[in-house]
Amino acid sequence: MTREEFTIEGALGTPLFLPWVERHAARLGLGMRLRDCTPGRLAVEFEGAPALLDAMEMGCLLGPIDAWVESIVRKRISVT
Amino acid sequence: MSETGAMRDHWYPVGMTKQLTEAGRDTLLMGEPIRVFRDGGQPQVSDGAGRALPVIDRFGHVWTSLGTPAKDLFTIPEADQPGRRLVDVGVCRVRCSPLRAVENFLDIAHFPFVHTDILGSEPHTEVERYEVEIRDDVDEVWATKVKFFQPQAAKSAEGGITTDYMYRVCAPTCSVLYKTCPPKPGEWDVIALFVQPLTETLCDVWPWMALYDDDAEMTDLIHFQQMIFVQDRSVLENQLPALLPLDPGMEIPTRADMTSIAYRRWLKRHGFTYGAQLVAA
Repeated sequence: MTREEFTIEGALGTPLFLPWVERHAARLGLGMRLRDCTPGRLAVEFEGAPALLDAMEMGCLLGPIDAWVESIVRKRISVT
Repeated sequence: MSETGAMRDHWYPVGMTKQLTEAGRDTLLMGEPIRVFRDGGQPQVSDGAGRALPVIDRFGHVWTSLGTPAKDLFTIPEADQPGRRLVDVGVCRVRCSPLRAVENFLDIAHFPFVHTDILGSEPHTEVERYEVEIRDDVDEVWATKVKFFQPQAAKSAEGGITTDYMYRVCAPTCSVLYKTCPPKPGEWDVIALFVQPLTETLCDVWPWMALYDDDAEMTDLIHFQQMIFVQDRSVLENQLPALLPLDPGMEIPTRADMTSIAYRRWLKRHGFTYGAQLVAA
Protein backbone atom coordinates (compact mmCIF):
# COMPACT_ATOMS: atom_id res chain seq x y z
CA MET A 1 0.00 0.00 0.00
CA THR A 2 1.14 3.49 -0.80
CA ARG A 3 0.24 6.68 1.06
CA GLU A 4 0.40 9.97 -0.83
CA GLU A 5 -0.64 13.54 -0.28
CA PHE A 6 -2.51 15.14 -3.20
CA THR A 7 -2.52 18.92 -3.39
CA ILE A 8 -5.33 19.86 -5.75
CA GLU A 9 -5.52 23.47 -6.94
CA GLY A 10 -8.03 25.27 -9.11
CA ALA A 11 -11.50 26.77 -8.95
CA LEU A 12 -12.84 24.41 -6.31
CA GLY A 13 -15.37 26.79 -4.74
CA THR A 14 -18.31 24.51 -5.34
CA PRO A 15 -19.65 22.78 -2.23
CA LEU A 16 -19.90 19.65 -4.38
CA PHE A 17 -16.17 19.19 -4.87
CA LEU A 18 -15.14 17.65 -1.56
CA PRO A 19 -18.12 15.22 -1.44
CA TRP A 20 -17.28 14.29 -5.04
CA VAL A 21 -13.67 13.50 -4.05
CA GLU A 22 -14.89 11.46 -1.08
CA ARG A 23 -17.26 9.45 -3.28
CA HIS A 24 -14.62 8.80 -5.92
CA ALA A 25 -12.08 7.68 -3.30
CA ALA A 26 -14.66 5.34 -1.77
CA ARG A 27 -15.44 3.91 -5.20
CA LEU A 28 -11.75 3.14 -5.67
CA GLY A 29 -11.47 1.70 -2.16
CA LEU A 30 -8.88 4.27 -1.10
CA GLY A 31 -8.32 5.41 2.45
CA MET A 32 -8.69 9.19 2.73
CA ARG A 33 -7.76 11.85 5.27
CA LEU A 34 -8.48 15.54 4.67
CA ARG A 35 -5.58 17.87 5.43
CA ASP A 36 -6.74 21.25 4.16
CA CYS A 37 -9.71 22.61 2.25
CA THR A 38 -10.10 26.13 0.82
CA PRO A 39 -11.96 27.38 -2.29
CA GLY A 40 -8.73 27.20 -4.29
CA ARG A 41 -6.87 24.32 -2.70
CA LEU A 42 -7.54 20.88 -1.33
CA ALA A 43 -4.88 18.81 0.41
CA VAL A 44 -5.82 15.18 0.94
CA GLU A 45 -3.96 12.05 1.97
CA PHE A 46 -4.91 8.89 0.11
CA GLU A 47 -3.84 5.32 0.79
CA GLY A 48 -4.12 2.41 -1.64
CA ALA A 49 -2.52 0.54 -4.53
CA PRO A 50 -0.37 2.76 -6.82
CA ALA A 51 -2.56 2.13 -9.89
CA LEU A 52 -5.63 3.22 -7.92
CA LEU A 53 -3.86 6.37 -6.74
CA ASP A 54 -3.17 7.07 -10.44
CA ALA A 55 -6.87 6.50 -11.15
CA MET A 56 -7.76 8.93 -8.36
CA GLU A 57 -5.57 11.57 -10.01
CA MET A 58 -7.24 10.95 -13.38
CA GLY A 59 -10.73 11.23 -11.89
CA CYS A 60 -9.92 14.41 -9.95
CA LEU A 61 -8.39 16.08 -13.01
CA LEU A 62 -11.87 16.02 -14.53
CA GLY A 63 -13.95 16.34 -11.36
CA PRO A 64 -17.55 17.56 -11.19
CA ILE A 65 -18.72 19.85 -13.98
CA ASP A 66 -18.81 23.00 -11.83
CA ALA A 67 -15.23 22.69 -10.61
CA TRP A 68 -12.03 23.32 -12.55
CA VAL A 69 -8.90 21.50 -11.41
CA GLU A 70 -5.83 23.36 -12.59
CA SER A 71 -3.19 21.06 -11.16
CA ILE A 72 -2.55 18.10 -8.89
CA VAL A 73 0.78 17.68 -7.11
CA ARG A 74 1.43 14.28 -5.55
CA LYS A 75 3.87 13.64 -2.72
CA ARG A 76 4.67 10.13 -1.52
CA ILE A 77 4.46 9.75 2.24
CA SER A 78 5.10 6.05 2.74
CA VAL A 79 5.05 2.60 1.12
CA THR A 80 4.17 -0.47 3.16
CA MET B 1 -33.05 22.04 -30.67
CA SER B 2 -29.94 21.15 -28.71
CA GLU B 3 -27.68 23.86 -27.39
CA THR B 4 -24.74 24.17 -29.78
CA GLY B 5 -22.93 26.61 -27.48
CA ALA B 6 -19.30 27.50 -28.08
CA MET B 7 -18.92 24.75 -30.68
CA ARG B 8 -21.13 26.68 -33.10
CA ASP B 9 -18.26 28.99 -34.07
CA HIS B 10 -15.94 26.21 -35.24
CA TRP B 11 -15.29 24.51 -38.57
CA TYR B 12 -16.73 21.08 -39.38
CA PRO B 13 -16.29 18.70 -42.34
CA VAL B 14 -19.48 18.27 -44.37
CA GLY B 15 -18.37 16.29 -47.41
CA MET B 16 -15.56 15.18 -49.70
CA THR B 17 -14.60 17.83 -52.23
CA LYS B 18 -14.24 15.45 -55.15
CA GLN B 19 -17.73 14.03 -54.60
CA LEU B 20 -19.46 17.42 -54.80
CA THR B 21 -21.98 17.98 -57.57
CA GLU B 22 -23.96 21.00 -58.71
CA ALA B 23 -27.13 19.26 -57.55
CA GLY B 24 -25.50 18.92 -54.15
CA ARG B 25 -26.61 16.91 -51.20
CA ASP B 26 -28.64 17.61 -48.08
CA THR B 27 -27.15 16.84 -44.72
CA LEU B 28 -27.20 18.06 -41.12
CA LEU B 29 -24.80 20.08 -39.03
CA MET B 30 -25.48 20.16 -35.31
CA GLY B 31 -29.12 19.35 -35.91
CA GLU B 32 -29.64 22.03 -38.57
CA PRO B 33 -30.30 21.17 -42.22
CA ILE B 34 -27.64 22.33 -44.67
CA ARG B 35 -26.97 21.80 -48.39
CA VAL B 36 -23.48 21.18 -49.76
CA PHE B 37 -23.06 21.78 -53.48
CA ARG B 38 -20.80 23.06 -56.22
CA ASP B 39 -21.47 26.38 -57.94
CA GLY B 40 -19.19 27.75 -60.64
CA GLY B 41 -16.75 25.00 -59.76
CA GLN B 42 -16.47 26.17 -56.15
CA PRO B 43 -17.80 24.34 -53.06
CA GLN B 44 -20.72 26.10 -51.44
CA VAL B 45 -22.79 25.44 -48.33
CA SER B 46 -26.15 26.95 -47.44
CA ASP B 47 -28.31 26.61 -44.35
CA GLY B 48 -32.01 25.69 -44.18
CA ALA B 49 -33.03 29.27 -44.96
CA GLY B 50 -30.78 29.42 -48.04
CA ARG B 51 -28.19 31.62 -46.30
CA ALA B 52 -24.64 31.09 -47.54
CA LEU B 53 -22.35 29.65 -44.87
CA PRO B 54 -18.57 30.14 -44.78
CA VAL B 55 -16.59 27.51 -46.69
CA ILE B 56 -13.04 26.16 -46.61
CA ASP B 57 -11.82 23.50 -49.05
CA ARG B 58 -8.91 21.70 -47.35
CA PHE B 59 -7.59 18.16 -46.83
CA GLY B 60 -9.91 16.86 -49.56
CA HIS B 61 -12.98 17.94 -47.62
CA VAL B 62 -15.41 20.84 -47.52
CA TRP B 63 -15.61 22.60 -44.15
CA THR B 64 -18.24 24.98 -42.90
CA SER B 65 -19.60 26.60 -39.76
CA LEU B 66 -23.04 27.64 -38.52
CA GLY B 67 -21.47 30.50 -36.61
CA THR B 68 -18.59 32.91 -37.01
CA PRO B 69 -15.24 31.16 -36.61
CA ALA B 70 -12.69 33.37 -34.90
CA LYS B 71 -9.79 31.61 -36.55
CA ASP B 72 -8.84 29.70 -39.67
CA LEU B 73 -9.20 25.93 -39.85
CA PHE B 74 -6.19 24.14 -38.34
CA THR B 75 -3.33 23.12 -40.60
CA ILE B 76 -1.59 19.78 -41.12
CA PRO B 77 1.82 20.74 -42.54
CA GLU B 78 2.54 17.14 -43.58
CA ALA B 79 -0.26 17.43 -46.15
CA ASP B 80 2.07 19.61 -48.26
CA GLN B 81 5.14 17.36 -48.06
CA PRO B 82 6.07 15.98 -51.46
CA GLY B 83 5.87 12.21 -51.86
CA ARG B 84 2.94 11.68 -49.53
CA ARG B 85 -0.22 10.04 -50.79
CA LEU B 86 -3.33 11.87 -49.64
CA VAL B 87 -6.16 9.44 -49.04
CA ASP B 88 -9.82 10.43 -48.71
CA VAL B 89 -11.13 7.34 -46.99
CA GLY B 90 -14.84 8.15 -47.40
CA VAL B 91 -17.59 8.36 -44.84
CA CYS B 92 -18.76 6.12 -42.03
CA ARG B 93 -22.04 6.99 -40.29
CA VAL B 94 -22.05 6.17 -36.60
CA ARG B 95 -24.90 6.37 -34.11
CA CYS B 96 -22.86 7.96 -31.35
CA SER B 97 -21.88 11.33 -29.97
CA PRO B 98 -19.33 13.07 -32.23
CA LEU B 99 -17.22 13.57 -29.11
CA ARG B 100 -17.35 9.84 -28.38
CA ALA B 101 -16.03 9.17 -31.89
CA VAL B 102 -13.01 11.41 -31.26
CA GLU B 103 -12.41 9.97 -27.81
CA ASN B 104 -12.39 6.44 -29.18
CA PHE B 105 -9.81 7.49 -31.78
CA LEU B 106 -7.58 8.73 -28.94
CA ASP B 107 -7.81 5.47 -27.01
CA ILE B 108 -4.93 3.02 -27.33
CA ALA B 109 -5.99 0.48 -24.71
CA HIS B 110 -8.79 -0.96 -26.88
CA PHE B 111 -6.49 -1.97 -29.75
CA PRO B 112 -5.83 -5.61 -28.68
CA PHE B 113 -9.50 -6.23 -27.93
CA VAL B 114 -11.27 -4.46 -30.81
CA HIS B 115 -8.60 -4.54 -33.55
CA THR B 116 -7.27 -7.96 -32.56
CA ASP B 117 -4.13 -9.09 -34.43
CA ILE B 118 -4.04 -5.85 -36.43
CA LEU B 119 -3.46 -2.84 -34.19
CA GLY B 120 -2.92 -4.92 -31.05
CA SER B 121 -2.85 -8.43 -29.67
CA GLU B 122 -2.81 -10.25 -26.36
CA PRO B 123 -0.74 -10.49 -24.23
CA HIS B 124 0.68 -7.11 -25.38
CA THR B 125 -2.07 -5.11 -23.69
CA GLU B 126 -0.16 -2.79 -21.38
CA VAL B 127 -0.16 0.91 -22.24
CA GLU B 128 3.23 2.32 -21.22
CA ARG B 129 3.41 5.75 -19.62
CA TYR B 130 3.26 8.61 -22.09
CA GLU B 131 2.95 12.38 -21.92
CA VAL B 132 -0.14 14.52 -22.40
CA GLU B 133 -0.53 18.28 -22.36
CA ILE B 134 -2.88 21.03 -23.40
CA ARG B 135 -0.66 23.35 -25.44
CA ASP B 136 -1.86 26.85 -24.69
CA ASP B 137 0.06 28.48 -27.58
CA VAL B 138 -1.92 26.53 -30.19
CA ASP B 139 -4.88 25.59 -27.96
CA GLU B 140 -4.60 21.91 -28.80
CA VAL B 141 -4.36 18.65 -26.86
CA TRP B 142 -1.17 16.67 -27.57
CA ALA B 143 -0.20 13.17 -26.43
CA THR B 144 3.40 12.23 -27.16
CA LYS B 145 5.85 9.37 -26.55
CA VAL B 146 3.07 6.82 -26.94
CA LYS B 147 4.36 3.32 -27.73
CA PHE B 148 2.35 0.21 -28.49
CA PHE B 149 3.11 -3.21 -29.97
CA GLN B 150 1.15 -3.82 -33.14
CA PRO B 151 0.93 -7.02 -35.22
CA GLN B 152 0.12 -5.04 -38.39
CA ALA B 153 0.45 -1.31 -37.79
CA ALA B 154 -0.33 -0.29 -41.35
CA LYS B 155 -1.10 -1.73 -44.74
CA SER B 156 2.62 -1.39 -45.51
CA ALA B 157 3.83 -3.13 -42.31
CA GLU B 158 5.35 -6.60 -42.48
CA GLY B 159 5.11 -8.38 -39.14
CA GLY B 160 4.72 -6.92 -35.68
CA ILE B 161 6.48 -3.72 -34.62
CA THR B 162 6.45 -1.39 -31.63
CA THR B 163 4.74 1.63 -33.05
CA ASP B 164 5.34 5.20 -31.88
CA TYR B 165 2.34 7.46 -31.77
CA MET B 166 1.49 11.10 -31.25
CA TYR B 167 -2.09 12.30 -30.96
CA ARG B 168 -3.32 15.79 -31.52
CA VAL B 169 -6.80 17.24 -30.95
CA CYS B 170 -6.95 20.38 -33.04
CA ALA B 171 -10.70 21.10 -33.11
CA PRO B 172 -13.65 19.92 -31.01
CA THR B 173 -14.43 17.04 -33.37
CA CYS B 174 -11.12 16.56 -35.19
CA SER B 175 -8.02 14.61 -34.23
CA VAL B 176 -4.77 13.86 -36.02
CA LEU B 177 -2.70 10.77 -35.30
CA TYR B 178 1.00 10.56 -36.17
CA LYS B 179 2.45 7.06 -36.18
CA THR B 180 5.57 5.18 -37.19
CA CYS B 181 5.87 5.00 -40.96
CA PRO B 182 7.07 1.45 -41.73
CA PRO B 183 8.56 2.12 -45.21
CA LYS B 184 10.18 5.44 -44.21
CA PRO B 185 11.78 5.40 -40.74
CA GLY B 186 12.12 8.88 -39.30
CA GLU B 187 8.88 10.10 -40.85
CA TRP B 188 5.36 9.91 -39.48
CA ASP B 189 2.30 8.53 -41.20
CA VAL B 190 -0.60 10.91 -40.67
CA ILE B 191 -4.13 9.66 -40.07
CA ALA B 192 -6.82 12.20 -39.30
CA LEU B 193 -10.35 11.77 -38.08
CA PHE B 194 -12.70 14.53 -39.18
CA VAL B 195 -16.11 14.17 -37.53
CA GLN B 196 -19.25 15.90 -38.75
CA PRO B 197 -21.70 16.29 -35.86
CA LEU B 198 -25.10 15.56 -37.44
CA THR B 199 -26.80 15.59 -34.05
CA GLU B 200 -25.60 15.05 -30.49
CA THR B 201 -25.89 11.29 -30.95
CA LEU B 202 -25.25 10.81 -34.68
CA CYS B 203 -22.18 11.63 -36.72
CA ASP B 204 -20.51 11.15 -40.07
CA VAL B 205 -16.84 10.26 -39.71
CA TRP B 206 -14.50 11.22 -42.54
CA PRO B 207 -11.05 9.66 -42.03
CA TRP B 208 -8.21 11.13 -44.09
CA MET B 209 -4.59 10.07 -44.42
CA ALA B 210 -1.27 11.45 -45.66
CA LEU B 211 1.03 8.45 -46.06
CA TYR B 212 4.40 7.49 -47.46
CA ASP B 213 3.44 4.31 -49.26
CA ASP B 214 4.36 3.92 -52.92
CA ASP B 215 3.31 0.30 -53.21
CA ALA B 216 -0.20 -0.25 -51.93
CA GLU B 217 -3.19 0.23 -54.18
CA MET B 218 -5.34 3.19 -53.20
CA THR B 219 -8.36 0.93 -52.76
CA ASP B 220 -6.37 -1.29 -50.38
CA LEU B 221 -5.34 1.72 -48.27
CA ILE B 222 -8.96 2.82 -48.10
CA HIS B 223 -10.25 -0.67 -47.29
CA PHE B 224 -7.68 -1.12 -44.51
CA GLN B 225 -8.76 2.08 -42.79
CA GLN B 226 -12.45 1.41 -43.35
CA MET B 227 -12.06 -2.06 -41.83
CA ILE B 228 -10.49 -0.50 -38.71
CA PHE B 229 -13.27 2.01 -38.36
CA VAL B 230 -16.07 -0.48 -38.89
CA GLN B 231 -14.60 -2.47 -35.98
CA ASP B 232 -14.79 0.69 -33.87
CA ARG B 233 -18.35 1.42 -34.91
CA SER B 234 -19.88 -1.58 -33.16
CA VAL B 235 -18.24 -0.48 -29.91
CA LEU B 236 -19.14 3.18 -30.32
CA GLU B 237 -22.80 2.47 -31.00
CA ASN B 238 -23.13 0.50 -27.77
CA GLN B 239 -21.43 2.87 -25.35
CA LEU B 240 -23.46 4.08 -22.39
CA PRO B 241 -24.19 6.82 -21.73
CA ALA B 242 -24.51 7.87 -25.37
CA LEU B 243 -23.22 11.37 -24.60
CA LEU B 244 -19.63 11.86 -23.49
CA PRO B 245 -19.57 12.45 -19.72
CA LEU B 246 -17.54 15.46 -18.62
CA ASP B 247 -17.94 14.33 -15.00
CA PRO B 248 -16.48 10.81 -14.65
CA GLY B 249 -19.18 9.78 -12.17
CA MET B 250 -19.41 6.00 -12.26
CA GLU B 251 -16.53 5.70 -14.72
CA ILE B 252 -13.09 4.89 -13.37
CA PRO B 253 -10.55 6.46 -15.73
CA THR B 254 -7.02 5.08 -15.32
CA ARG B 255 -3.59 6.34 -16.31
CA ALA B 256 -4.02 4.73 -19.74
CA ASP B 257 -6.92 7.15 -20.29
CA MET B 258 -4.78 10.28 -19.90
CA THR B 259 -5.46 11.48 -23.44
CA SER B 260 -9.20 11.06 -23.02
CA ILE B 261 -9.07 12.96 -19.73
CA ALA B 262 -7.08 15.79 -21.33
CA TYR B 263 -9.57 15.90 -24.21
CA ARG B 264 -12.53 16.08 -21.81
CA ARG B 265 -10.77 18.77 -19.74
CA TRP B 266 -10.17 20.78 -22.89
CA LEU B 267 -13.85 20.43 -23.91
CA LYS B 268 -14.94 21.45 -20.43
CA ARG B 269 -12.62 24.47 -20.32
CA HIS B 270 -14.01 25.82 -23.62
CA GLY B 271 -17.65 24.93 -23.01
CA PHE B 272 -17.60 22.51 -25.98
CA THR B 273 -20.58 20.53 -24.78
CA TYR B 274 -22.55 19.56 -27.92
CA GLY B 275 -22.58 15.77 -27.58
CA ALA B 276 -21.45 15.91 -23.94
CA GLN B 277 -23.18 14.98 -20.72
CA LEU B 278 -22.63 17.47 -17.95
CA VAL B 279 -23.88 15.48 -14.97
CA ALA B 280 -22.24 12.39 -13.52
CA ALA B 281 -22.44 9.35 -15.75
